[in-house]
Amino acid sequence: MATFVDKFPDEAKVVQASFAVAFIALGIGALFGLIQALHRTNVLRVIDSVDYYTLLTAHGVLLALVFTIFFLVGLFTWAVTRSFGRALPDIRLTWAWFGLMTTGTVLATVAIVAGLFPQIPMSADVLYTFYAPLQAHPIFYIGLAMFIIGTWMAGADWFLAYREWRGENPDSRIPLQAFMVLTTMIMWYVSTLGVAVSVVFFLIPWSLGLIETVNPLLTRTLFWYFGHPVVYFWLMPAYLLWYTVLPKLAGGRLFSDPLARVVFVLFVLLSTPVGIHHQYVDPGIAEGFKFIAMTNTMFLLLPSLLTAFTVVASVEHGARQRGGEGYLSWLGALPWRDPAFAGMALAGLMFAAGGFSGMINAGMNINYLVHNTLWVPGHFHMTVGTAVALTMMAGTYWLLPQLTGKAVYSRPIGLLQVIMWFIGMVFMSNAMHRAGLFGVPRRTAEPQYQNFDFVAAVGSVGEIRMQIAFGSLLLFLSVVLFLFNVAATWADDRVDTPVDDTIPEPLSPSSGAPLVLDNLALWTGIAVLLVVLAYTLPLASIVNDAGLLGGSPTFPVTVSLEWVVDVTVGALGNLSLDSLAGVAPADAVADLVREVRR
Amino acid sequence: MEIHRYEKIWLAGALLLIVGFIATVSYGAVGAGIAMVDDEGGQVDPASLDDHPKFGEPGTYQAGENEYDVYVVARQFLFEPGTSEPIRVPAHSTVTFHVTSPDVIHGFEVVGTNANTMAIPGQVATITVEFGEPTEYGLLCHEYCGSAHHAMEGKIEVVPQSEWNESMVVN
Amino acid sequence: MSAEPDTEAGDVATPSGDAASENGPPIPDPESVDDEGYVIGSGRSGIVRRIGHDDFDPVGTLVLIAIYMVIVGAMWIFMYFVEFLGGDLTVIG
Repeated sequence: MATFVDKFPDEAKVVQASFAVAFIALGIGALFGLIQALHRTNVLRVIDSVDYYTLLTAHGVLLALVFTIFFLVGLFTWAVTRSFGRALPDIRLTWAWFGLMTTGTVLATVAIVAGLFPQIPMSADVLYTFYAPLQAHPIFYIGLAMFIIGTWMAGADWFLAYREWRGENPDSRIPLQAFMVLTTMIMWYVSTLGVAVSVVFFLIPWSLGLIETVNPLLTRTLFWYFGHPVVYFWLMPAYLLWYTVLPKLAGGRLFSDPLARVVFVLFVLLSTPVGIHHQYVDPGIAEGFKFIAMTNTMFLLLPSLLTAFTVVASVEHGARQRGGEGYLSWLGALPWRDPAFAGMALAGLMFAAGGFSGMINAGMNINYLVHNTLWVPGHFHMTVGTAVALTMMAGTYWLLPQLTGKAVYSRPIGLLQVIMWFIGMVFMSNAMHRAGLFGVPRRTAEPQYQNFDFVAAVGSVGEIRMQIAFGSLLLFLSVVLFLFNVAATWADDRVDTPVDDTIPEPLSPSSGAPLVLDNLALWTGIAVLLVVLAYTLPLASIVNDAGLLGGSPTFPVTVSLEWVVDVTVGALGNLSLDSLAGVAPADAVADLVREVRR
Repeated sequence: MEIHRYEKIWLAGALLLIVGFIATVSYGAVGAGIAMVDDEGGQVDPASLDDHPKFGEPGTYQAGENEYDVYVVARQFLFEPGTSEPIRVPAHSTVTFHVTSPDVIHGFEVVGTNANTMAIPGQVATITVEFGEPTEYGLLCHEYCGSAHHAMEGKIEVVPQSEWNESMVVN
Repeated sequence: MSAEPDTEAGDVATPSGDAASENGPPIPDPESVDDEGYVIGSGRSGIVRRIGHDDFDPVGTLVLIAIYMVIVGAMWIFMYFVEFLGGDLTVIG
């Protein structure tokens, strides 16, 4: 039977290529994640603590940006092509954005990984948030900019496809999957403006030496202007799969097409004017702006809570059609042996838990409890690390056969793999959340400090470390199995019926949705207005306080370690001149220096 | 637009949760008196902190009866004071920390407590807390600040009133 | 309760919202897909009955979501009033 690859062979190639880049990034990023988890839990140390930050930067960039977004552009290309039922306007444009994104990715990755080799004078150990005035090599910023511009071109490609389709279907509703793609891209255009201004106008000229200083609070605020909507950019592909594919996998039909559209419109409107909730404990931003960001963030819960109902109801419809009965026993009637279904369902379950820790993160003053602690990576490993990543892996088991015409190599391995991911993440992320509550920070190479010990209220610090190490091992093995299964599928022969690729009509169809929902220009306008309202005053006050370019000197991360130690010793020496009674003795200072060198 | 009765119930429940969350946080601000770090600390020139009347000589300053200001410079990779000598404050006092950085972005976390702020070059973060019985707290930098970030730590000593003396304040 | 002429045919293959549904792929007969030949995505091969729009009340979903709401509410109160307000050194200025 004809599937996607037979109908749209050119588009299928682009989607396959995008997935290939995504999966390579997934493999490298997962390996670095394992090394980090074992290092900072003191289980196994194969790197220096200084190199930890190189791996951490690569882990964040490769998984949070490259894996997720390359999967997204592949998925969206598939979704636009299949739901419009026509080839993309010009496949050369499609390959152009793929090429630009890939080139940008390679440049940024080279700049990061070069940090592992002292003989190469290039480094980008600035983590994926790249806060100035820590400065990476210019190639890092240039690679990022190319990557972002590539995604803009991809969006243009899909909007051109929409225009062609609209020309021939002037009165039809936008197909649901295409609607999801287009609204997500509107959100992306609005939100990437912040990071583009930060990178192109400030960070690239600054890293090239064209301007001498930057305003650290300004570039940080511009980063978070983009940094929150980007999490929805990761999440929307998962939502697209949950709304349009998961019900079918369950044996049911989408409960409501109109509500799905409402949810995506709400994301367009509310995703961006919330970024300041990442800066609740930043100086230089008035409390009122933080409160506004919080109320917007809390209302941004609404589309996700509505999604929970609609998606679970659609799955329940499947269970009932499969003979499920009762208030809860219908759950047993679902096709749990299908890795695509089981993976997505477990991802959704994990999202319910990650959603809760996200609600805590959204609370303004309770942020004092969790800000920059291990709680935060605990949270996002549940959300982007499971709700998104596990849905993408599970979705691959259903998508790859359509893109290649080949059946999945092993369904049992696939099932084992998604369950291992879920269990591994239960261990790792619950332990990270708990550790964060007693103050263990995120983003650090060492588990212990010299001046104090962490005290766990329940359980012990050692038990928490073991859970993190064990969980990370399961997660890594799960990725290995996934990549093996995907590679074996790719290497397999074509078959007649590789997959059941049909998608049934929603129970409540699009004809019931108000026409205004498809008015993309209207939602874009309101989204821009909300952003202007939320950001004009905070940005004006940041620029007014410290200037457009600030006065911060530059701190390249390429400096040698010896220099760092010298400066530290010098600073400590100055301090001891005006020391008071009971100052830490000189050997403690020497210990610190040894610590630094380690 | 048709919405199922059960979904309407859930919509109401979801809105109730959202309003409840905002109400709790508002109670925390108004009822429990929790203040956010904001722009009241003002700005400083990160390149010339040494010339600043307080950050040039960081440490504990007496601001009033039982009220103290602690000026802390967070820099790669230490707190001044905090690392080579502990920050000292008297027991049962109200203390305002003023934290800034002359180089990159740092964090300031009193370990295991709610005292937690960012240190951003050019900006001064101010947080006021009340200390109780004599004890010791750990202090750490929770924002990646460079290759020895993990070594950036320190200590706060809450000194008994009986042992508190003038040599522990700068002014 | 908008127009939905043929709910019985609802799970028949049409790309969602696709105007060109007549070009959709043929539907494999559910009965022909047994455990041996199971392909991923064939969850509907286990369908034993068709439930249309008007016959479906997601009562199981309502129960699940109510349980979730209770857990989230209780956890929020615990986190805010015990973990946070009960903690040391709360910032008051």
